[in-house]
Parts: sequence; C-alpha cells; structure tokens
Amino acid sequence: MRWMWYQEPLASKRRYELISSKASIEEAGNYPGNALLALDKATKHFGGLAAVQDVDLQVRPGEIVSIIGPNGAGKTTIFNLITCLYRPTSGDISFEGRTLVGLTPDRVVRRGIARTFQNIRLFNNMTVMENVLVGLHTHLKASVLGSLFHLPSVMHEEAEARRRAIELLSFFGTGLVERQEEYVVNLSYADKRRVEIARALAARPKLLLLDEPTAGMNEVETLEAVKYVRRLRDELNLTILLIEHKLTVTMGISDRISVLDYGRKIAEGLPEEVRRDEKVIAAYLGKASTRGEKAPVDEKAEE
Amino acid sequence: MSASMSNRLLLPANDTRVLLIKWVVALLVPVVVFTLWSGESIVNAVISPQTSSLGISTDPVALLAAAIFVTVFYASTITLAGYLVAADSGRRGIIELWIDVFIFTLVPLILVVIFHDLILGLALCAVVWPVYFFVRGRVRKARHYIPPPPLESLEVLDVGERSILISRATAGGFWFGTAFAVVTLITDLVYFVTGSLPTLLLIWALIRTLVLPIAGYFLGRLAGVIALRRTLAAKGNGGNGANRVGNGIGTSLRQQLEVLSTTRAREEAKDLVPNDLPLRSTGAQRFYLILLGAFVLFYPILDPFLFGSGTDGRLANYGDAGRYVILALGLNIVVGFAGLLDLGYVAFFAIGAYTWGLIGSPQLGFLTGIVVNPQLWPWFFWPMVLGAALIAAFWGVLLGAPTLRLRGDYLAIVTLGFGEIVPIVFLELDNITRGANGIIGVYSPNFPGVLWTGFTPTPYYYLILALIALTIFANIRLRDSRLGRAWIAIREDEIAAASSGVNLVRTKLFAFGAGAFFAGIAGVYHAAKLGVVSPDNFSFGDSVIYLAMVVIGGIGSIPGVIVGALAVYAINELVLPQLDTFAADPSSVFFTIKSSIIHFAPGFTYGSVRNLIFGIILVVIMIFRPEGLLPSARRRRELHAATGGAEMGALDVVPGAPGFEEEVRVD
Amino acid sequence: MALFLQLLVVGLSAGAVYALIALGYTMVYGIIELINFAHGDIFMMGSFITIALLNLVGISDTSHPTGLTLVSVLLVACLGSMLICSALGVLIERIAYRPLRNAPRLAPLISAIGVSLILEDLGKLWKGNQFIAFPLGIHEMFLQTGISLGPVSIDSGSILVIVVALVLMVALQWMVTRTRIGRAMRAVAQDREAAALMGVNVDRIIAFTFFVGAGLAGAAGFIYCLEKGTTIFSVGFELGLFAFTAAVLGGIGNLVGAMIGGVMIGIIEALASLIPDSYVTHGLGLPHGGSPWHDAIIFAVLILILIFRPTGLLGQRTPEKA
Repeated sequence: MRWMWYQEPLASKRRYELISSKASIEEAGNYPGNALLALDKATKHFGGLAAVQDVDLQVRPGEIVSIIGPNGAGKTTIFNLITCLYRPTSGDISFEGRTLVGLTPDRVVRRGIARTFQNIRLFNNMTVMENVLVGLHTHLKASVLGSLFHLPSVMHEEAEARRRAIELLSFFGTGLVERQEEYVVNLSYADKRRVEIARALAARPKLLLLDEPTAGMNEVETLEAVKYVRRLRDELNLTILLIEHKLTVTMGISDRISVLDYGRKIAEGLPEEVRRDEKVIAAYLGKASTRGEKAPVDEKAEE
Repeated sequence: MSASMSNRLLLPANDTRVLLIKWVVALLVPVVVFTLWSGESIVNAVISPQTSSLGISTDPVALLAAAIFVTVFYASTITLAGYLVAADSGRRGIIELWIDVFIFTLVPLILVVIFHDLILGLALCAVVWPVYFFVRGRVRKARHYIPPPPLESLEVLDVGERSILISRATAGGFWFGTAFAVVTLITDLVYFVTGSLPTLLLIWALIRTLVLPIAGYFLGRLAGVIALRRTLAAKGNGGNGANRVGNGIGTSLRQQLEVLSTTRAREEAKDLVPNDLPLRSTGAQRFYLILLGAFVLFYPILDPFLFGSGTDGRLANYGDAGRYVILALGLNIVVGFAGLLDLGYVAFFAIGAYTWGLIGSPQLGFLTGIVVNPQLWPWFFWPMVLGAALIAAFWGVLLGAPTLRLRGDYLAIVTLGFGEIVPIVFLELDNITRGANGIIGVYSPNFPGVLWTGFTPTPYYYLILALIALTIFANIRLRDSRLGRAWIAIREDEIAAASSGVNLVRTKLFAFGAGAFFAGIAGVYHAAKLGVVSPDNFSFGDSVIYLAMVVIGGIGSIPGVIVGALAVYAINELVLPQLDTFAADPSSVFFTIKSSIIHFAPGFTYGSVRNLIFGIILVVIMIFRPEGLLPSARRRRELHAATGGAEMGALDVVPGAPGFEEEVRVD
Repeated sequence: MALFLQLLVVGLSAGAVYALIALGYTMVYGIIELINFAHGDIFMMGSFITIALLNLVGISDTSHPTGLTLVSVLLVACLGSMLICSALGVLIERIAYRPLRNAPRLAPLISAIGVSLILEDLGKLWKGNQFIAFPLGIHEMFLQTGISLGPVSIDSGSILVIVVALVLMVALQWMVTRTRIGRAMRAVAQDREAAALMGVNVDRIIAFTFFVGAGLAGAAGFIYCLEKGTTIFSVGFELGLFAFTAAVLGGIGNLVGAMIGGVMIGIIEALASLIPDSYVTHGLGLPHGGSPWHDAIIFAVLILILIFRPTGLLGQRTPEKA
C-alpha cells in the first residue's frame, strides 16, 4: 500500500492499518453465493407508488458494481434501503449473510457499510477534521466520564483519532490535509466530495456505497474521481457499489452493472453486455431508437 | 547590553514610542478611574484599616484577601500593558483605539457608579454598546474602511525582531507603571496638601512610586515572554508550544494559514501576535479572565468599597443570578449543542429543588418517619447535590424518550407539555409535597467553620461560584469530546450523522440527561438558599425565560449564554422592579409614562409587562441578530451563511444541484 | 346513557371551537412548516375583541336585544372579530415570520414564541388578568333557550357554535378546493418553488393563508366567549394546545383532518369528566376531576399520537429525501 507515513511526536508509535487487507476476501467463501451484499426481491412502496420493486442484487467482495438507470428509477432508494434509512416493504437485504432489515442506520455502519450522498451531506459548519472525526464515532470508545476528566486513555484515543483522520485525508494527497482546519462550507465542490468519502472511510467499512460520486464534476475532475474510486478498491480492499449517471464512468470502472427502470431491474451483467442490451437502450432513449438506429450510447463509450 | 537596554527603555525608538503612548494612555485612564473610585480606598484600608472611613472590619482574612486582590489586579494590568505594546502590529489608529477602549471600560464603570448596582450598570451597557457599534459601523462605511488582511502582519520573527518584542513589552510595563505611579502620587500629594491624608499613607505613596516602575519593568519582561509564545515560528508548530497540534505534514503554521480561507484564517490569526487587534487576541483574553476571576472571587470583600452598605442584599441577588447562569448553561447543552428545542426545562429545575426539599427538610420526617438530627443532616447536602442532579438527569432521559423521533417543532410542543405537567404534579401530590403550601424549613448546607443559614448570603455566593465553575468546566469538556461532536453533528444534519455511525437515540438522550443534570444542581441550590420549595416558584413561564437566556446570549456559545443569563436576570429581577420604584416618584419620567399607560391599561406596572419585553426582545433578536449577543464563531457563520455565501477556495465551479440529466427521453 | 349523549353534545360544541382554531394551525404548518405558537393567542384576542365590539355598540350586561338587532349585533361582533384578527395575523406574519423564511428551523419558532408572549401580555394589559365576562344578557339568552332531542338538551349557544363552525368550515373547504386562490394555496403547500415557477406570488399566498387562519381563530373567539360566557388572557395558551393536538390528531397539513380532530378532541375532553372521582383519584391521592385531568389526558393523547402515528389519522407520510 502506498501511504505517506508521517512522523508524529505522539505517545505511541503505533501505526494504523486501514483495513484488514485480505480478510474480507477470504471470508467471502462463507457467504451464501459468495455475496457480500445481497438484495432479495427488495421492494419499497410509498403510498401507492412502487419506488423499488422486486430487485435482486448481489455484490461480491472486491467488486465494483454500478447501478444505473434513468432519473427516478429508484437507485438512491436502494441505497436508503441498504443503509436502513427506509424499511423495505417486502423482501430482504443481507450483508455478510446476516439480514440488515430492522436495524438503525448507525448499526448498519457498525456492520461495515458506509455511504456518501447524492447531494453531499457534510456537516457544513464543522471543519474538515471534525467531519472525519464524526465518521470515526463508531470506533471511538470514549466514555462521558472519561471525556470529562480527560482520562489518559481518552486523550490518547483522541490523538490517535486525529492521526487516523489525517491518514484518511491523505488518501487524496496533501491538499485536504493542509486544509484540515478549514470549514467545510468553504471548500471546493470536488474537495467536499472527497471529504465525504474520507468521512465514510473513517468508519472502516467493508462495503462503500457511492451515490453519484462524479456528479457536477468536469472531465478532469471526473477522471480523477474514477482514479480514486479504483484506488479505493485496489489499495483499501473495499467493495464498492456505485450509482452513476455518466456512462463513460460506469463502463470504464465497473465489474458489473445493474440497470434499473421504474424501480425494477431490467438488465444486469458485464458492461459490454449491458451496453448492447435492448431494454437498456429503450429505457434511456425511448423505444424509437431500437428500431435499427445506432445507439448513441456506443459512441459515448468509445471515448 | 544592559546599558543599551536601559537606553532603549528610557529613550524608546520612534515606533515604540507611538505604541507606548497609545497603550499606556488607553489603559491608564480606566485604571486610574477605577482606582480613584475604589481601588485607592481598598489599598488604604489594607494599609491602615483603622483610618479607613468605611469602617471595614479588621478581620485579617478579609484584609489579606483584599491585599491579594489589589496585587493581582494591578500586577495584571501592568503586565497587560506590556503585552499589548508588544503585541500590537501598529496598523490600527490611535484615536480609534482610545475611543473603543474608553467606551468599553469607562462606560460600564460610570454606569455602575451611577446606578450603584453592578448588574444594572452592565445591563445598561448592553444598551449603550450596540448603539456604539452601529454608529461605528456607519462611520466606517462612510469612510470606506476595510480591515487589512490578517496574514500580512503575521511575519515570522527573527532573533532581532524577537528581542525588539521583548524590549517593547518591558518598556510598556515600565512606562505604564511609572505613569500610574506619577498620577497616583500627584493625587495623593493633593490630598496631603489639603490635609486629608494620614502620614502613613503618604509614606506608602512614596514607597509605591518607587516600587511601581521597577515592578513594571519586570512584569513587562514577563509580558514579553508571554507574547513571544504566541508568535509564528519559522518552522514546525507555532511558537514555543503554542496551541496547534501538528498537522502531520511539517508545513509551518504560516503555510497552513495561507491555504485557509480568509474568514478561517482571520479566526486563527486572533491567536497570534503581532496582531491588529491585540485587545481581542487570545493572549489578552487570558488577562481578562484573570482580572474577572479575581474580581468575582474576592467580590464579597470588595463590595463595601465599591458600593458602600447593602452588601448582603447584593450578594443574595448575585446568588440568584448565579442560578440563572447554571440553568442557562444546562439548557445550552440541549438547545445549543444538540439543537433540541426544549421548552419544558423548568420541570427538571423543579425536580432538583423538590428532591432536596423533600429530603433535606423536616418533610422527610413526616413522610418516612426517619428522624434526623438537624445538626448533622445538612451535611447530606453535598452528596445530594450530585444525587438530585442524577435524579433530574434520569427524569431528563425519561421525559426525553418520547420525543426522540419528533422533529424540532413537535419536540418543542411535547417538552412544553411536560414543563407544564411536572409542576402541576408537584402541586397536586399534596400528601407528599404539601401542595400549594410548599415545603418549609429546608436546610442550608453545613460547612466546617462557616455559619450557614438562609440569611447568610456570602457562603451561598461562593457555593454558586463553585457550582458555576464546575458547570463551565463540564460544558467545555463535553463540547470538545466525542459526544460533543456527535451533538453538533445531530444538530447540523441528523441523517448524515446517523449514516456516519452516530446513534441518534443515545446521543439525544444523553443531551437531555446532561441538560437536566445541571438543572437539578440549580434546583438543589435554590431550595437550600430559599429555604422554601413551593410550586409557584416553577411556572411554565420560567421555561420561556430560560430559553430567552440562551437565545439572547448566543445559542451554543458558553460565554454567550452566561452573558444572556445575566442579562435576562437583570431585566427580570432588577430593571423592571427598579423602573417601578422610579415610577413611584412623581417627578420622574417613568411616573409620567406609567400614568399615561394606566389610562387605557389599568393595573399596569413595569413588572407586569415582563413577558411583553421578553417577547419583543426575542422577536427582534431573531430577526436582526439570531446568533445572539456573544455567539460562537461557528454559529455566526451558520446564521449568516445564507446572506454571505460560502467562500470559494479554489477555482472550481460550484454547480447547482448535482445529478443533472445527460440522458434525453425521446418518445 | 343520557349523560353520555349529553356529554357528546357538549363535546361537539367544544370541538367546533377547537376545529376552527386547529384549522389555523394546520394551514400555517402546511404552508410554511411552522407551528404558529401565537395562533392560540390570536384566538384569545378574538374573544377580547368580540366583547369590546359589543360594548362599543352599546350592549351591556343588561341588554336583551332580539330579532334583527340581535342578529346585526352578533354579526358585527363576529365579522369584526374575524377581520381584526385576520389583519393581526397578516401583520404578525409580515413582521415576525417573513424575515425568517430562510433561516434555520429554530429561528421562526423562537420568534413565534416571542409573539405569543407579546400577545399574552397585551391581552393582560388590556383587560387585566381576571376573567372578563361576555355581556350577561345575551349569554343567558343563549344558555336558557334551546331544543331537546329526547333525553338530550342542546342550548342555543351550542347550536350557534356548531352552526357557525360548520358554515365556516364548509366555506373554507369550498374555497380551498374550488377557487383559484385555494388552488394556489395547495400548490404552495406542496412545493413552494414549483408554485413560484408557475407564477404564483408565494408571499401573497402565505399572507393570505395567515389571513384566513387568523380569521377563523377570530370567529372561534367569538363563539367561544358567547357560549362560555367568560374569557381570560391565558385562554389562548390552553386552548391553543388542545387545538394543536387536534390538528396533529387529524394529520397536520390536512384541513379535513383538523376539523375531525377538533371534534374528536372536544368529545374526548367531555368524556374525560366521566372519570369517576373515587376510582383513581383517592387511591393514588391524585387530584379529583376537573381541569388538571383534562390537560393531562389531552396531552397524553398528543404524545401517543406523536409516538405511534405521527402523521395523524388522515395525514400522508412524507419521508425526508436522503
């Protein structure tokens, strides 16, 4: 792993490992069907509207899986179901073989799933460092009394937590580390996205849900984002589930793609397969385009 | 070396001279005024108690305390003078500074002297100062004044510059000491010539004139060292061990500051010297705290010198004001840190009060048949402070539990309901609580060597001081802990917080519990001090007052809510009744106002429109200054972000809503 | 049984008052998501204004107007109260709420609390802190006449209350569903930005909502003091809480829900006086019957709704978009 190690005059010189590197992949064999995350006929109705209907999805350890589909297809709803912000109307969602249904969102984080949001939900009036520290909340054990009396164990933990946060921020280079005391609201858009990811990483997840990580970015930034998504999987051994609108990104980065339309999964498979799937083209471009015309999707992917 | 040093001292360089004049005058005027008002008499009383005209007791403890206070006070001011001279970057004008300082120090002094009451005087300052701010803002706008960017003045100091800093500080201390000595000597000589100064004091005056400059010299050096610790070092962390935890890359503090946005940098730059506004720097703030602390600690001794007779009454008032402070700090946890609008806070105050009321009074005997020895039982007060607080915290959790899933507005209503119900429950359970009659004969605590009854305000004063100190300490620790971060995260964005692993239920319950804890402490204090616990002390209207304290002072800001509590206390207990007293005198303007209002509103007294005044204040504050009087930096940004807008650091474009469509639906 | 029915009638007429006030709460909440703490106090002002207007036109305790005089006097009082309260509502919105439209949630809430304090103290200043009586003559007239339906007797006061409330509620429902401005109100309540994009003047619609809501509160004030015979400056707070519970019970934001909720709360309150003195109270040494019980029960209802069915009976669940 390529990390920049920083010499710190701290009490302890313990180094931090980000994630147990091989463990999650080796444990893969224990899950039914080898899936880290499995949605089984997940369904979510709002009143009369079926936002998600009978969706099956499996994500294997170490994969980058993308969910794509037109707006309103239910992609973010699926994320919300996984992280238990919603409760599925029917169906099951399981992680590492155990069901997630009925948990509170913070317990889901404890199980090992972290996410980012489509609209960037950072704590605007906290600094970069503080945002990441909140991400570390589950892994800190400081008790109230300990904090009150500044017990050495608590103080040590805080110092280690800060070090950890710096490491996480340094995944993206030195830029964020230098600006760690900046209020998040003053950052550039791309930086904000990175902080959100750092915050998610702080929870030491096994599965990372990224909701439109390149939304709002220009081409240069998008390329950079694609690079760090890959690094997240390669260097940190994360499994990544991704919602993305830019087909160039999805085609280039995904191991597998699932396509949703009107809450149902209409296609799934390798990028090349999905690209040529008639149903997918129809969903995006309307039925007219399947009458023999060359799908513009192909041209875009050729970039 | 010492020759050039003393040369530089007696004939300072030109720019140093300017600074010296600037700061020595700025500080000298308020200090002299204070001295003439009462400082002098305190010192004189210490030196020769018999001749003091105030008939001060010759109790050695009191005299010692007074002596300590005087020493601390004057030593701090001299050191502060040195610090300010060293810390000033010299970019701000002199006259401007003088006006600022005089408004902030002389106005309160004068008002306090006129009204013969500390809190009343300060409350009126709260009226004068905003007017001044407003005027100053207008003047600045008219003159197109732009504050220079903070980073320019933050130079890394080399060795030569550092020694200049120290010499400036030394000079500052020295010249301030000298000037002060000269001024006081002259006044003393005048007194001597007119025959009202005993010889002993004249001798003292001469000694003082010699001692002060020397003391000034050394204190000035000390100030220089203090200032030096807050300068930018060339590399690594700032200064010699000054605040910053290393950021892990080894960039210097200067470089770190450069990458921050202007607002953020300005905040950080407040810590460092040389500074444009050394009065606001954190170093100077330490001095203010020392002065404030000494003043508050020794206040019972000082009061006779400041205001003459009536100390006991004033101390009793301040004890009550202290209770407000604790309540404000407790509510600040719930409303300020965690963002949960609790409108029923008085319930926990009542629970705390009744707990001690039931246990620490003869009522316990009635209820349980346990016979307690009235001499020994009051010792139980001390553990009961903790005990009642824990009981209140328990109820805080219990009453908070139903509100967990509610959004802000609903939460307010439900807590409001509880705030209504709890006092009614206490009222109606008259088998236990004696209902409307209340519990009487509640014990005051015992403490070795102290006579402590419901009628001795001084022990209560120190008790509340200690409790306040504990509360502030606990609040600061909580705020900066993992729990405190979780609270702020919840306040900012519950969903994001939950998705980052914060357990909403536990964190919110902790907030309720912690808030109720401090209310319980205040309740126990109140029960013991008043000696009576009855339901009319706890009305729903009080909850609104507590909220007003937090809102007016600054939601989430610890110094803010303290000021807010004192302000509300002043309005509630002092200003309005005082207006009524004024109105009793037919010659005062208040009388005329009152009579004209009575024409169409019979039964009007100034005291009865308390709620009206608070209501107006709340609305006005929400519209014009929602962050309160003394906001935390974070809060001020939060509430002005809508108008000011976020700053752009890099050149990246901030898009509108992300997730724009690239696909086109064609039918 | 007769007692039960009689209580039902009592509850119905009380409920009518609650319904009218609840409508104001629910309309304002639906459109700007603010609990207007001051709304109950507008109701209180309405009752004060009613009495003041009656005194102004010469009605005193001994007056016994009949026929046309009676009708016109009552009309003056009712419409006058409604209009003045409406103006008051619009004024409050303009001064205390509109500047805070974009501020964080806490700000308008605190401002509303401030306004509530102001109104209560103004009421106290105006009429003192004792009960004020509605002109006795008229009140008794309404109390002593009435009809009997079998075992149940309904006095004219209650009839008037129910009739006025019904008329207003029907009128409101018609306005909201059938007129252009009603449609605009619903649009702004659903999605403020979209409505603005469609050309709706959001500020004016919000002001209008306050106008209507406060007007209803004024009418409620009128019928309340007519039936009850007295009013006091603190009545706004207490009844406001009841009415708010009613609004939540019916589903906040839902007009029909507020009406139904109001009636239900009225009936619950009436039935609460059935709680036998002996059973609970002596056993626990708790208060016997009367006002504290009402408060506690209604409040318990509120808590239960908020815990188990926060959207109320008719409300829609709108989950926050993540």
